[in-house]
Amino acid sequence: MRSPNNTAGASASELHVLARRSELGVARKYAEDVAQAFGLDEDSRYEFVYAVNEAVTNAIRHGASDEEDMIHMSIVADSERLTFAVRDRGTFVMPEVDGAETAAGGRGLALMASLVDEVDLHIDPGGTTVRLSKVRSSSIETARARAG
Amino acid sequence: MRTFYIGDDVHLEDAGPEVAILVVGGEVDYEVSPQLKARIMRAIKAGARRLILDLSDVTFIDSTAIGVLAATLEKLDETGGGSLSVVCTHEKVIQIFEITGLDSLITVYPSREDALAAAATAG
Repeated sequence: MRSPNNTAGASASELHVLARRSELGVARKYAEDVAQAFGLDEDSRYEFVYAVNEAVTNAIRHGASDEEDMIHMSIVADSERLTFAVRDRGTFVMPEVDGAETAAGGRGLALMASLVDEVDLHIDPGGTTVRLSKVRSSSIETARARAG
Repeated sequence: MRTFYIGDDVHLEDAGPEVAILVVGGEVDYEVSPQLKARIMRAIKAGARRLILDLSDVTFIDSTAIGVLAATLEKLDETGGGSLSVVCTHEKVIQIFEITGLDSLITVYPSREDALAAAATAG
């Protein structure tokens, strides 16, 4: 279920899916389409989609009580920054670090942090929201040039 | 989007009974990582000690699948030792191995022949 909303200078859209593993491909396709429309290059698109997949995976694993729960995704884009928010109804639990397989949640967070420019985690009584932001490469280069 | 698949286990007589090659392709995510785990564990149960995962056609591998590979190493350790190597040339997939530190636990080879040669030397 997609609902686009374009306003001057910024654009936004939403996608709501059931908390099912089979929806991961749908979430990746949505992220890929949005990243392409935003104008991210191929490498940045891969990284963005990868981080989104990790956030949605985490929401399905830990933020849903069953497969009828919904995962809410929304996009906000301005001229320089693309932000993808994943919201679920669960309470965020710090990933376990013992055991090779149960450490997957910790790996997921590390991957998200490595692959996008900003990860923001917001926890409230109603659920958890992860926001992933990717800045246009040219914006990063401009910032580096200014700094350096 | 490339569809996930696991090919039939490949056993090469020259390489010995302990060497098994699993060919995996497509996008390996949380939906399919349980299938990957089941297949790997079945190979170990059948006697494979030196596992080669041919990921040449894998374009995406998520953290749950990385967890399966790490769990495979633990399982081999717990059951008398062995090795897990991976065939992969996809730059982004290799980057994921590096970020997660998996590249320090397994050896990544550019071709199946290279992985087999190393397994034969180890054996």
